[in-house]
Amino acid sequence: MKKVLMPLVMVALLALIPFVGVQYAGLSYLFGVIIPYTAMVVLLAGFLMRLADWFRRPVPFRIPTTCGQEKSLDWIKYDRLESPAHFWEAAARVLSEVLFFRSLFRNTKAELHKDANLAYGSHKWLWLGGLAFHWSLLVIVLRHSRFFFVMVPGFTDFLDHADGFLDITLPTFYITDAVVLAAISFLVFRRLKDAKMRLISLQTDYFPLFLIAAIVVVGVLMRYVVRLDIMPVKDQMLRLVNFSVDAPGEIGTLFYVHLFLVSVLAIYFPFSKLMHAGAIFLSPTRNLTNNSRQKRHINPWNAEIKFRTYSEYEDDYREKMKKAKLPIEKQ
Amino acid sequence: MMSKKLIWIFAVTAIMLFAVLNVFRKGEAETPPQPVHKSVAVDSSKCIAPASFMRANHMQVLYEWRNSSVRTGNRVYIAQNGSKYEKSLNTCIGCHSNNRMFCFNCHSYANVKPKCWNCHLSPMETP
Repeated sequence: MKKVLMPLVMVALLALIPFVGVQYAGLSYLFGVIIPYTAMVVLLAGFLMRLADWFRRPVPFRIPTTCGQEKSLDWIKYDRLESPAHFWEAAARVLSEVLFFRSLFRNTKAELHKDANLAYGSHKWLWLGGLAFHWSLLVIVLRHSRFFFVMVPGFTDFLDHADGFLDITLPTFYITDAVVLAAISFLVFRRLKDAKMRLISLQTDYFPLFLIAAIVVVGVLMRYVVRLDIMPVKDQMLRLVNFSVDAPGEIGTLFYVHLFLVSVLAIYFPFSKLMHAGAIFLSPTRNLTNNSRQKRHINPWNAEIKFRTYSEYEDDYREKMKKAKLPIEKQ
Repeated sequence: MMSKKLIWIFAVTAIMLFAVLNVFRKGEAETPPQPVHKSVAVDSSKCIAPASFMRANHMQVLYEWRNSSVRTGNRVYIAQNGSKYEKSLNTCIGCHSNNRMFCFNCHSYANVKPKCWNCHLSPMETP
């Protein structure tokens, strides 16, 4: 299982780099200031370049997906979400995809039964696992805003309270911490369990999962097990947000491991499958209105067609047509 | 035609980026973060543990104190150096009440809101 072990070893090595670098070589400035800034620049520039690249690809034609009635005559009811005719309907379709993974909800599974019957069934586990994973990550990222703002926005403060709603352990246990770890485990084992999934899974499928898992585990360790003094951490994050290049204070090494792995994720992001975060908004089957009956879409790179109209034809052959006593429109 | 579209995209993203960054700067650049955890002048040799340990682990200590004193009635804490303390917030506040903001300085900075003061008197409320 080289495909699985290699990413695992890579993530372990990546986690070891800042640990050794800060603990033994004292490179806290490199890992606390230089690398995070570099990572953010690469993330932003890379993300924009990938998006710009995709924006430039022409999408001349609408791609109707076949699961809804298209808008045609007024008295035929059309499916607003499956076959949107207006911008807002298409936007709703994209958003339902982004927020609730609607297409994945239709996921089916084919099984060959013993009596040689092929059976299809609804299979919602991937949808559920993916939803739990992404939403937890979103809540966790928003929760981290307490490190980035002097005055924490009320909205994320509320999220923080809701997430710690169980009010057990000290510091308060966050539900999303457990949910995201469970979801990552599910997503990894889903790939490992089935022979077909194992075959089509690549190193690039496992690596981001392991990397995010490592980030979460280090974060959980810092919060619940190996406690850090949080004040210099907040100092440092506020400095980073304010584009300051001052050296970080005395912070536990685990923080640098966490920050470095996040930086690696940020740098890896624009060049990997993780770009689906931006690309989902550009999916032509989701974001194009299905209005081929209302509007003619012309392929912009079609060759110019030289049409020959009837009047031109008549101009050319008028005399001959007159001789043959054919009717002509213009004398 | 495509390059025009591209210029628009870049322009809009640049403006948005600039706006977002400006929001960040306006809120915070003028009030640079002040590390506020150095102000407490207390004889730290009297404390139950070194300051660095307390900064990271005080919540754990208080949690243990609460559970053991309330549930098993054991109200005596024996520190690393052998000296004994009463397991009580008053033990902490006995020294640290010289600063009314003792808890709040850091806790509001890190946006951590413990539930101690739902029942107990905080340093701000003690006379």
